[in-house]
Amino acid sequence: MPTDTKRVRGPEVSQSLSRFVCKPETTLPSDGTRTDGRSRDQVDVRPVFVRCGLVSQAKGSAYIEAGNTKLICCVYGPKETERKDETDMKCGRLFADMRFAPFSCPERGSWIQGSHEKDLSLMVLESLQPAVCLHKYPRSQIDINVMVLENNGSALAHAITCASLALADAGIEMYDLVLGCSIRQDGASYLIDPTFLEESGSCWGSGENQGSLTVSFLPSLNQISGLQSDGEMGEGTLTAGVRTCIEGCYKLYPVIQQALVKAVRGAAPPPSES
Amino acid sequence: MATVQLSEAEKVYVLHGIRDDLRVDGRSCEDYRHMEIETDVVSNTDGSAKVTLGHTAVLVGVKAELGKPRPAAPEEGYLEFFVDCSANATPEFEGRGGEELGMELTNTLYRVFNNKRSVDLGSLCISPGEHCWLLYVDVLLLQCDGNLYDAISIAIKAALFNTKIPKVLISEGEEGGTEIELSDDPYDCVRLSVDNVPCIVTLCKVGHRHVVDATLQEKACTVASLIMAVTPAGTCTCTRKVGRGSLDPESIFEMTEAGKRVGKALHGPLMSLLLQEETLGKKRQKVGFLG
Repeated sequence: MPTDTKRVRGPEVSQSLSRFVCKPETTLPSDGTRTDGRSRDQVDVRPVFVRCGLVSQAKGSAYIEAGNTKLICCVYGPKETERKDETDMKCGRLFADMRFAPFSCPERGSWIQGSHEKDLSLMVLESLQPAVCLHKYPRSQIDINVMVLENNGSALAHAITCASLALADAGIEMYDLVLGCSIRQDGASYLIDPTFLEESGSCWGSGENQGSLTVSFLPSLNQISGLQSDGEMGEGTLTAGVRTCIEGCYKLYPVIQQALVKAVRGAAPPPSES
Repeated sequence: MATVQLSEAEKVYVLHGIRDDLRVDGRSCEDYRHMEIETDVVSNTDGSAKVTLGHTAVLVGVKAELGKPRPAAPEEGYLEFFVDCSANATPEFEGRGGEELGMELTNTLYRVFNNKRSVDLGSLCISPGEHCWLLYVDVLLLQCDGNLYDAISIAIKAALFNTKIPKVLISEGEEGGTEIELSDDPYDCVRLSVDNVPCIVTLCKVGHRHVVDATLQEKACTVASLIMAVTPAGTCTCTRKVGRGSLDPESIFEMTEAGKRVGKALHGPLMSLLLQEETLGKKRQKVGFLG
């Protein structure tokens, strides 16, 4: 079992305070409004703040903030790949790594990448691979590192958006931007872009159709590059959920495009005065 | 995953065949290969099953141990999964090579069973907050010829059906400690209900059509696949897109519909087969690994 010998951890028997606090009502209220003022059953994604080019050392970087969810992504490459086998001769490789800062979730996580984080990293990789023109970078690898600074729901969906923005900022050739959106299905109604409390497993009721769904979408090409669902849902609900996520992605698209244009204009040299 | 290298001409051949609903081995797009299931193959486990799907062979062993329930769910037991890609399957899995694939399969299994209805976890609780049954489901890949997810999920369902958990009595001993008593009769046990356990269906997109139960050759021609875990009632507990390509939303809707149909049709014959094997009892001729 991998142990981390470089960092001093707390005592083995320490527990989070949240376990001892009197828990408030754990099921989601079933009336129209959600805790942050948005409504159910409407494509009401949280307003998003994005900025490119934060990390000067990285080839490309992006920061995204949606409600209280904050993520930063850095892209390094293309650089020469260490592992050389036959497939590298024709196209490049992408490596994605998604990590949560230990202070990002209500309960402290660990620095060692757990299996959940590896799973999310794989999902980010699978979502971005169809969009990048890897055949233009033979024998190279591109590293994508996503760090979640604060997790208030939909971390994966925003990580995918942030990573594709960072790739665009790095000048990596892509077919299209990849946008992520997630919903939480609660019985007959859905909540788009759920917060941490709305997403967490302890809130799941015991009725039908309880689950969550994350979709990553390429808007101009109308292609889905990633799909992941949890919980138990009927097939019709799943289909409707995918359509809703696609709508959510279309809503996000203009904001991301504007941020990218702004970053490119900022980086371009000023027009000559002659 | 173990892969085969196909030339462009071979890929075109496979693609054209699938376009006309005729695969290389003569099946139609939604047919499974020949499947053999046998339960109770390993005597040291509480439940076991071996599934052979074409040339893919998977062995699952379930062991029940007493443990403390998770703090978040004090009235439930839980399942722990582990998939081991043995080096027997292909030389690529030697040493740590199979670890990545094993992790991916394990994570998917956790997600498939991560809901309240697949397995009744409340029945695994002995005394709330103190003792519960912990089921270790260990999967061993013996041979790898494509479609691992399907074979593993069918084997897990059969192994859980076969699992016999001994009956346990917890009583207050002297000085306030707890005493655990196992009943003396080895056949006095509790069985798990597997009526809602889902089975995974993998649909691979080849050209404009999708195929169920793809072989390694068909996998090499696939752009992207969709993995769906379908319960007997027709609901999906976990869906996931895998592969390097992207899919059209319309294809995804078609594939989910097909997956639901195929998954639902898989459960009926599987349960009747397992019940039939059960009724044979001790007189059953065990085939094991020699058949």
